[in-house]
Amino acid sequence: MTALPTADSRFRGNDTLSALDHEAQKIVAKYDEKRAAVLPLLHLAQDTIGYVTPEAMEWTAKWSEVPVVHVREVVTFYSMYHQKPVGKHHIRFCTGTSCVLRGCESQLNYLKKKLKIENGDVTPDGKFSLEEAECLCNCEGAPMMQVDKDYHVDLTEKKTDEILDGLK
Amino acid sequence: MEAILSRNFNISNAWKLSVAEERGAYQTAKKVLTSSKPEEVLAAVMASNLRGLGGAGFPTGKKWSFLPKNNPKPVYLVINADEGEPGTCKDRYILERDPHQMIEGIIISAFAINSHKAYVYIRGEYVRPYENLQAAVDEAYTKGYLGKNALGSGYAIDLVVHRGAGAYICGEETALLNSLEGGRGLPRLKPPFPAIVGLFGCPTIINNVETVACVPHIMKNGAEWFAALGIPGCGGTHLFSISGHVEKPGVYELPMGVSLKDIIYKNAGGILGGRQLKAVIPGGISAKILTAAEVDVKMDYDSLKNAGTMLGSAGIMVMDETTCMVKMLYYATKFFAHESCGQCSPCREGTGWAHKIVTRIYSGHGKIEDLDELLRIARNMERRTICVFADAAAWPILSYIGKFRTEFEQFITQGKAALLEPAGAH
Repeated sequence: MTALPTADSRFRGNDTLSALDHEAQKIVAKYDEKRAAVLPLLHLAQDTIGYVTPEAMEWTAKWSEVPVVHVREVVTFYSMYHQKPVGKHHIRFCTGTSCVLRGCESQLNYLKKKLKIENGDVTPDGKFSLEEAECLCNCEGAPMMQVDKDYHVDLTEKKTDEILDGLK
Repeated sequence: MEAILSRNFNISNAWKLSVAEERGAYQTAKKVLTSSKPEEVLAAVMASNLRGLGGAGFPTGKKWSFLPKNNPKPVYLVINADEGEPGTCKDRYILERDPHQMIEGIIISAFAINSHKAYVYIRGEYVRPYENLQAAVDEAYTKGYLGKNALGSGYAIDLVVHRGAGAYICGEETALLNSLEGGRGLPRLKPPFPAIVGLFGCPTIINNVETVACVPHIMKNGAEWFAALGIPGCGGTHLFSISGHVEKPGVYELPMGVSLKDIIYKNAGGILGGRQLKAVIPGGISAKILTAAEVDVKMDYDSLKNAGTMLGSAGIMVMDETTCMVKMLYYATKFFAHESCGQCSPCREGTGWAHKIVTRIYSGHGKIEDLDELLRIARNMERRTICVFADAAAWPILSYIGKFRTEFEQFITQGKAALLEPAGAH
């Protein structure tokens, strides 16, 4: 019988995680209790792998000395942890009140048409993913979006083109 | 008015220690840690009338005084940098542009409450502010301003920056503690209050970024000076965020008690495109809305409470005459339905139910009875849950429908075409 593909087959392997062990040790040492390291360990694993794999949850649980199910609870609670791969560039598009007032709906529609994706999707080439976000607290620059680490404010269709077309 | 909290916002690279030090950073902390007693700092903060600037407005000195005496456990200072209240963007300025101001405040505050360990909980999406803050903390450690012998005083202070991961509820202080302890951000039942049982079961003081940034200024210039900047019972200045339909949205540092009308028409340059004002939310999405006729009000905790709303996080959102209130309620209920932590039934069910009904109205299938049903749901959420999130979720429903009922009724009976995307709207 041929084994079914598992999450492991897409996963870059436990070697990636063991390479993070040294960093994990430093993170755990900063806290008064090891369990407090759950969030930063998950951030580290996700930043390295691209998303939170089942193995990353186990690795986090091991270092923070909590049950894996606890880590899973955490991963599913917070919007920033992804359980499947996102695009090379992840877009959080703000739909907070101030952005709505300054026309985020038409900007968001433009972005969706441009990338041909909906909320939660990844482009077929894996380059972009889109998440409609709650207020990102850059209200003075509405409408705005976050691409990877950076906030981009006062969006227009032209500006969106420039930002996204400029990314590799 | 002289800029106090915002004095370094437009200085390039003020997040770097060399620039911050040229501008006087850490001099006050050094003086306080080497020549003052913790009780003197507490007394000054009490006398300054500093109130918590994260939204609740609780007197900071009073909060600090709740810590148990002769306590054998460690005391923690936790800084709430989980800015997430829609309409609020002020703490980001301190974190990204002037983190040393806050770190200096942390050093003095930790000393005052006999804490040797501080955590800054910063929202996960604030990546660039986090990077600047962490770089500032690293520089402060390298220089010996933080660590075992902070500023050469013999007093030990460690500071850890902790990133959140995308959950509005973690701005609620007990949810923040659970999140900081590595769990889901579920608010805790109170009492016990965090000052008695907080982080890791130890006495903990949780202060907002801006609040703690005020402390060095109080210690440098005196409590009376700080108190005199504001109004009786509420000292200092405040960073007001203003956004929406104004010509110059931004963050403005103004004295407590400034007129809302002045912020809109003077500081923010008036209504966008010269249109007419329709409504204002004065303190983040959780604050009840004010109509154009109600904006002649002072921006402080008591005045806004008397006006039936709240100062909250001082995130002012301005809506002009083209704004569709049904649409605004649709987005408000979407926000609360998405962000409810799910712990208490009235909130978990109420926010979702309310959003479904508002969605039905917004999509043109509403019934007149829906309005009273929404009000009933909202009233059944208020004061029935562990934290105030459910109250905050109820208030937009109660105030938008309460003050703009005719518009909601017209939307339902005459169809949405007349009101959606009117000419000239964004």
